[in-house]
Amino acid sequence: MSARVGRWLGISFGICFLTGLVSHYAQNPSQPVPFPTSPAWGYRLTQGLHVTTGVAAIPLLLVKLWTVFPLLLRSLPAGAGARVREAGERASIAVLVASSLFLLTTGLLNSTQWYPWEFSFRRTHYALSWVAIGALLLHLAIKAPTIREALRRDVDDPALDRPAATEQGALGRRGLLRATWTASALAVLATAGSTVPWLRQVSVLGVRSGEGPGGVPVNRTARAAGVTETAVDPAYRLVVSSGGRSVSLGREDLLAMPQRTEELPIACVEGWSASAAWTGVRLRDLLDLVDAPAGSEVEVTSLQQRGAFARTLLQGNFADDDRTLVALALAGEPLDLDHGFPARLIAPNRPGVLQTKWLSRLEVLA
Amino acid sequence: MSRGRVGLGALGVLLAAYGGWLLLSRQDSAGNLDAVLWLAGGVVVHDLLLAPAVLALCWVGARLLPPLARPAAAAGLVVLGSLTLLAVPFLGGFGRDNAPDNATLLDRDYTAGYLVLVALVLLGVVLPVLVVTVLRRRSGGQG
Repeated sequence: MSARVGRWLGISFGICFLTGLVSHYAQNPSQPVPFPTSPAWGYRLTQGLHVTTGVAAIPLLLVKLWTVFPLLLRSLPAGAGARVREAGERASIAVLVASSLFLLTTGLLNSTQWYPWEFSFRRTHYALSWVAIGALLLHLAIKAPTIREALRRDVDDPALDRPAATEQGALGRRGLLRATWTASALAVLATAGSTVPWLRQVSVLGVRSGEGPGGVPVNRTARAAGVTETAVDPAYRLVVSSGGRSVSLGREDLLAMPQRTEELPIACVEGWSASAAWTGVRLRDLLDLVDAPAGSEVEVTSLQQRGAFARTLLQGNFADDDRTLVALALAGEPLDLDHGFPARLIAPNRPGVLQTKWLSRLEVLA
Repeated sequence: MSRGRVGLGALGVLLAAYGGWLLLSRQDSAGNLDAVLWLAGGVVVHDLLLAPAVLALCWVGARLLPPLARPAAAAGLVVLGSLTLLAVPFLGGFGRDNAPDNATLLDRDYTAGYLVLVALVLLGVVLPVLVVTVLRRRSGGQG
């Protein structure tokens, strides 16, 4: 029973760990192997999968803990050696349980932008994912024979039960498994609409309905970023510089350049995403104005006063990609102030936090 | 113990140790203290509050409910219990306090949505029990 729920919980944790690594790497300024710009929907898929799988794991983890709960109250075995072994195993399970509960709880709360803690979410969630995956591998190594035996036998076979477990639960094991799968499936259906458009109507617990200016939700508003005055200032200029060369462009100047339209998704680390038609100037056309060599990295600076992503690094392959735009319009309408008016960055296959809004400077790094 | 298992266990210890080092080396002690509190807090809340509450509910259910209804009630507890925990941050809407001017964050009627979920689960749990009860009464009346 516990092995069967554990198998799916382990698979979920594996998916969360790998997609989490992808997300962490995509946000890393230094990338020995450049993060690919294609497919454009890649990050939308991996991060949607990360959050959805985490949600699916919540009922699995709860049922898994409830089925093994009686073992916690078991008395220690006789003999010093056996006691040390037992204590060691319990310590490893305590680490696994604590880090698992931590990851699923903080992940869920973060997806709703609720941060009732002092630590850095990104760093702590990332560090503990290594702890959890390590403790999970150790747990698998310790339990391997039991797991193999349990999965080989029929679920109702009592051969591997605790000696004390003589009473059959009301639901029966097959019933409990069915209830667990149902809970997990409902949890996914109730939340996945934030990233899967055709589930929007049924996802009653989606963090975003998908509504917003231009059909795209907003993560940080202009007011929260402290740009309500600077972004609408008539004196606004976007400065593009490379080495000694520099150009300064107003929104009208940008609108006078060749305009391109690209269908690209905004995919937030919090798991929601939306695809939209963005129109603006190809970033490479702007870099050509200052003769930036191909493959140059670009430091992107925002007008925003608050937040960790006021300055981001755009890797060379993203800067040179034809689909990367300095967007001026969304869905045929001038960009909304909350979407980054007067100009924002939009690139394929890139975490939403790095799609810098309210652009003020594009500086080509030597 | 086979070599594969020892290797897997050693790899696990190594990865966990790397995570522990990442945790402690990348932020100040106030952040670390809070992280440790949250780690321990999760276990305490689960083992001392949640799990005993579930056990107590099972105990009450086993005494109050007729045997026929118990499996359905247990299934309902598993599904509704986990969905209710999932719904807490949505029903509370605490994230809105951080972004009061963001109309696109948590922009659904979560109370109504949650109640629809509860109604669906209750329907799925109660209906089969009612059908079985009615069928049994009928066959009992005829026989």
